[in-house]
Amino acid sequence: MSLKNFSELFVDLDASNSTNNKIEVLKNYFLSNDPIDNSWAIYLLTGKSNKRFISGRYLKNLFSKIYEYPEWLIDTCYLKVGDSAEVITLLLKNKSTSRKKKLSNISLNELLSKIIPNLSKLNEEEKNLKIRNMWETLPEDNHLIFNKILTGTFRVGVSIGLITKSISKLINIDEEVISHRLMGNFEPSIDSYEFLINKKINLQELNSKPFPFLLANTIEDKIFKHSINDFQFEWKYDGIRMQLIKRSGNVSLWTRGQELVNESFPELVEEISHIQDDFVLDGELLVWNFKEQIAFDFSFIQKRINRKSPTKSIQIKYPIIFIAYDLLEINGRDIRELKLENRRIELEKYFSKWQNKTENNISDIFKISDLIFPKDWPDALTYKEKSRENNTEGLIIKKKTSIYSSGRKKGIWWKYKVDPMQLDAVLIYAKGGSGRRAGLYTDYSFALWKDQELIKFASAYSGLTNIEIKELDKWIRKNTIEKFGPVRSLKPEMVFEISFEKIQISKRHKSGIAVRFPRITKWRKDKKINDADSLENAYELMKKIS
Amino acid sequence: MRTKQEYLIRYKDGNLYCELADIWIDPSKPVKKALITHAHFDHFTFGCEEYISTKETAILLKERVGDNIKIKTFEYGEEFKINGINISFHPSGHILGSSQIRFIFAEEKWLISGDFKLQKDETCKKYEIVKTDYLISECTFGLPIFKWDESNKIANDISKWITNSPEKTSLLFCYSLGKAQRLLNEISQTNFKGNIYSHSSIHKMNNSYKKIGIDIKDTIKIENKKKIDELKGSLLLLPPSLSKGSYLKNFKNIQTAFASGWMSIRALRKRSGYDKGFPISDHADWDGILEVVKKSEAKNVFFHHGDSEALSKFLVEKESINVLFFGK
Repeated sequence: MSLKNFSELFVDLDASNSTNNKIEVLKNYFLSNDPIDNSWAIYLLTGKSNKRFISGRYLKNLFSKIYEYPEWLIDTCYLKVGDSAEVITLLLKNKSTSRKKKLSNISLNELLSKIIPNLSKLNEEEKNLKIRNMWETLPEDNHLIFNKILTGTFRVGVSIGLITKSISKLINIDEEVISHRLMGNFEPSIDSYEFLINKKINLQELNSKPFPFLLANTIEDKIFKHSINDFQFEWKYDGIRMQLIKRSGNVSLWTRGQELVNESFPELVEEISHIQDDFVLDGELLVWNFKEQIAFDFSFIQKRINRKSPTKSIQIKYPIIFIAYDLLEINGRDIRELKLENRRIELEKYFSKWQNKTENNISDIFKISDLIFPKDWPDALTYKEKSRENNTEGLIIKKKTSIYSSGRKKGIWWKYKVDPMQLDAVLIYAKGGSGRRAGLYTDYSFALWKDQELIKFASAYSGLTNIEIKELDKWIRKNTIEKFGPVRSLKPEMVFEISFEKIQISKRHKSGIAVRFPRITKWRKDKKINDADSLENAYELMKKIS
Repeated sequence: MRTKQEYLIRYKDGNLYCELADIWIDPSKPVKKALITHAHFDHFTFGCEEYISTKETAILLKERVGDNIKIKTFEYGEEFKINGINISFHPSGHILGSSQIRFIFAEEKWLISGDFKLQKDETCKKYEIVKTDYLISECTFGLPIFKWDESNKIANDISKWITNSPEKTSLLFCYSLGKAQRLLNEISQTNFKGNIYSHSSIHKMNNSYKKIGIDIKDTIKIENKKKIDELKGSLLLLPPSLSKGSYLKNFKNIQTAFASGWMSIRALRKRSGYDKGFPISDHADWDGILEVVKKSEAKNVFFHHGDSEALSKFLVEKESINVLFFGK
């Protein structure tokens, strides 16, 4: 069991564009490696950790020092390659003569649980020596993995869905179960892997984990051919999608990005703990304007999400509400297989019970989503247009007969947004501003997914508040991968909602599209880069508009 | 120091030109007299009055341009005189017939490297070290990130790539002259024993190689209508020009790869659209270029065909070699 196997896995996954092929490759890897290495592999492949232990710059300087290589030459190479870890890997090939004859055969576990974490305990000299030693004793085809993990740039074209599928095939258990097991925290260990591949399904074990979220697709024309009565209509709130879980008396609040955020919303946790039943609710967390009974916009909930243990005054200044869309589990009974219309009946039944039985008025902090009843599709359109008035983004349309599956399944849920000219994109470059903004990184470039690659699609300068600009600037300086002149390439981590006026085909851009007046309308701290839109989404948008 | 006009060989209209002999080297437009280093399309043009090359290059050239060109041939190492200049061809190891060209005039030696490589290639003559005063070298891969693996390692990777997917048809894209034959030679020495098919452009070149006496593995010419089942598990060699467009629709259940030095860079590999890239090149890598510069003992070096900036700076700073520039 060695790092070599994982390197080979990386090469194989990297060389394949076929989903089935990738699943096969993964399955074979899991079959032929230790549980602990498998566990680490899943950890890496799902991007649960991409901590940067050493910057690309540091790595390049170290190489330059050890092998007396001019830095400018490494920089020139970088321009061609675009990734420090890879540049150093390629340059190391040229230094194969200095390699020790006896190569070390370490495991993925050893590398990730010992060698790399221990680096941060060493002083600079020891650290450099250790890295050099690794370079000279690791087999050549392990260098890329080593350098990429060091610099926190390990990425390969594998989604959580693909991992889920391959494990599901491996042990012949439904994907939904595996997907559920992969939710929440994943600490690499023999146990966590064994849990994942356990053939016995034990609901108790999944107690602390949220269900995989069901997501809405962009509206499709074909829906308008169906009877309006087939669907349930709700407002599309612009808050943080969450599952509110109460099991065996314990309350947990999970975001869609799979973060546990109990500490940020103690008043909700407290209130919910008074309810007698156990349940799992799918809903949205918002800062609520109780006077007018509408939501405050997204920037308000942002003020709460990152603040742990908020003071009473913060809680009063930004009063939150949890709006429940759906009931997924009640008193230990998983009801996701029920039809939506039946789940809704359950939801309403239990909510009114809770309202009447709880001492405090729970509706101060918890309500269920109001349904809307358009007469026909033109009427639905009118509702959609009105959504701005109550600070919602449009409508969510759900098929009444649908079960609660997972992921972005087609033909179940749709979002009907009031302003369709928006995409969620990943920040990849930043450039220093000029004039009033000199000294700050204020010119940003954003990318969309194409397969597993992030392709730049727009640059934007405006839309963030001065406080956000400062905060982002600080982040940019800490998360720079490379600098070229005034431009920094950044660790792909931050997602922003980009709005624009027009979208059209452009041969001049690598993305193949050009947008007019792009601007940042939201810093989506609640989203992970995998949640960002793809170029395909952009093309669909273009089709819809033309 | 001489002015640019006074060099024996200089750049004129984007081509290498020797005024004293009124002769062009690999010209990109029709001229009176053209020395041809090798038969790749970017090294010759149609319509020159007279071509001069090695015997092997002449055969390949005729295959591509037609029989009715006027072409004078010489053996490797054989000296001939034009206007008092001694000229000779020397093996450059790039493809069959490829050569470096040496000029000697008034005891001053000039060497045009042509495209060259130092790596093993059983389908052509090995690169010959030639001493010179002035060296004009290509530098296609003039950065230290380029370091080639042994070609038999790449061939084994290709063999594994095919045999690991027996249910698929493996399409390997490569240049039809030189690279294809080298790959055939290497692959025939691996564990892969399945059928190999060649696109007609490659098949034609294979035959020319055989005519010249190079031992090339027999391949099946791809006909328009081939049963898909028949191709399962076999290797198809195709020119890169067919990788985009409708040609691929002729096949089902395929995997594609490109054999090129550029494939050593992941970003290029990803962008290329092929499933896989095999980094194998008929050009010298960084170490290869440095070795040739040193062993040629040239005091003055010019670079063309590539990004020469980093390479030049490195030679000047680290090796104290005088790197000159032609200018435009």
